[in-house]
Amino acid sequence: MENPLSEARQHSQTIIEERGKRIKLAAEIGLARSSSGRHWARALRRRLYRKPPQREYIVKNPTPLLKKEVPLVAEVVADVAEEKEEIEDKVRALQRLVPGGEEMEVDRLFEETADYIEALREQVGVMRALACILDGMESKDGDKL
Amino acid sequence: MDRDLFSHIDTDLNSISYLSLNYDHFDSALSSIVSSPSAAPTPPGPNDSLVLRELIGRLGTICNNKSASVGAVDHSANTSCYSTPLSSPPKSSLHPLPNMNPNPNPMPFAPDPGFADRAARMPCFGGGPHMAMSGQLSRVSSSQSLMDAGMTGGVQLEGELPVRENGSGGRGANNGRKRKAGVKGKGKEASLASSGTVNSKISEEDQSAKRCRPDCKAGEKKGGTEEKNGNCSENNNGDRENKNDSDSNNANAKPVEPPKDYIHVRARRGQATDSHSLAERVRREKISERMKLLQDLVPGCNKVTGKAVMLDEIINYVQSLQRQVEFLSMKLATVNTPSDVNMDNLLQKDMPQACSGSMQQPLYRSAFSYPNQPQVAPLNSLLATNSIPNLGMQPSSNLPFDGFGNANPQIGGFWEDDLQSVVQMGFGQNQEAALSSQSFQGSGPSSSDMKIEL
Repeated sequence: MENPLSEARQHSQTIIEERGKRIKLAAEIGLARSSSGRHWARALRRRLYRKPPQREYIVKNPTPLLKKEVPLVAEVVADVAEEKEEIEDKVRALQRLVPGGEEMEVDRLFEETADYIEALREQVGVMRALACILDGMESKDGDKL
Repeated sequence: MDRDLFSHIDTDLNSISYLSLNYDHFDSALSSIVSSPSAAPTPPGPNDSLVLRELIGRLGTICNNKSASVGAVDHSANTSCYSTPLSSPPKSSLHPLPNMNPNPNPMPFAPDPGFADRAARMPCFGGGPHMAMSGQLSRVSSSQSLMDAGMTGGVQLEGELPVRENGSGGRGANNGRKRKAGVKGKGKEASLASSGTVNSKISEEDQSAKRCRPDCKAGEKKGGTEEKNGNCSENNNGDRENKNDSDSNNANAKPVEPPKDYIHVRARRGQATDSHSLAERVRREKISERMKLLQDLVPGCNKVTGKAVMLDEIINYVQSLQRQVEFLSMKLATVNTPSDVNMDNLLQKDMPQACSGSMQQPLYRSAFSYPNQPQVAPLNSLLATNSIPNLGMQPSSNLPFDGFGNANPQIGGFWEDDLQSVVQMGFGQNQEAALSSQSFQGSGPSSSDMKIEL
């Protein structure tokens, strides 16, 4: 018979995971809202609202986005064609990272990436602060639950 | 017929360039050009642009050569006009003006539409008894007025003259482009204009450049220029970095087309000047500009050079940020807070658009320089959105505050950069009222709602 404690633990774990997913969804929605005028934000919103329960997180994908190995030293004498292909691969990887990136040209992609980075940073900051605050609160109210 | 016109001019130019830099010679050459206004009703095709460019180049050469002599000339009205373009190094040319840099030789003189008339009337135009010149100038002025009336092509042509194809001065490139458009655009007027241009180029270059701008749009419309004729927009001189929109330009440009559709590109010396490579170059520069922007955003990228490595860094950074979001959301899920904390709403709160772009760092730093203050209000407003039910914290309760106060020293470090986001998060539109009612002191001069004191 399964240890009821582990069951409970698993159960709570699942609860926490679910909660985490919801929180992440909320965070992404907030992220998308913060720069609603941007292409990536609109694409993100579309993605989020289209399939709310399962969202494709590139972050969860452990495989590296860059198929080619990055040379440690910048090859000044690299073959031009090779270089171009390398760069193209990376651009494609970036396109996959930034929501809505596939439909953009490179220059636009960079612009959107810059904005996306900024928004992400802000979002991370918010969440960090929130976590800190709640942690602080928790340490005091730990017994409230 | 186009060919005739051009070849004619070509021949004349050839002769001109070999003449001593002297107005008389110039006069004769110009007169020959002036007297050959063959109509070219059909706009020249793309292949003519090459001829035109060559033409412009030669004219530019001439003008540059003349700079010495012309510069010495002293005309009351012309001085400024002469000095400026001519002061640009005549044949230095080897320094490629990158598109990004502002024009080192901007038009210092204000456009003087009446200049042509004044110049024409001046007997000593050119510092000597160049009545012929003035006569031609009068012709120019008439053609000018014609042009003003709507034949922008000519105006454009004028601008080109002093310019070498490879962008000697600031205006060079622009004018070059304009000229093409003008010639192509309006056959008859163009020819007139060109003649007029050649005549009065020295005097009119300034006004042509300026005049071109509003007119250019009209002028280039017909131009089958595959090239970037955008200069006619207001940002004529300084703005070289716009995208190349040649096709769209030619297709449906209207006289009142907003300038932003036009791109200014200068052909660098030794580089191909066909539209494709120019467009390519513009694009490349745009991309590199954006990459620089990204470089500033991504920490630790300043020393990195090379596109590939930069891209790697960017990708890694974006990935790490996304992972952080995920990790933090998991962490928030594990936080044991009073069960009625609605985290979703917390995070989904609309961020005020005003703050999304600006990093109000100074405000925050000053705000956070305040040590712990016995105010639970900020914490409340921070966490409480309109839809979040009671967090279990009452203003009278000291517990949350204490918790916060204890946390402060620990988190003081990373708060600096993230403060704004904290505030943004907590301060939706509904929060503004709450905040303002709490009237924090010393919240800084910012009138936005982002005021938090701790």
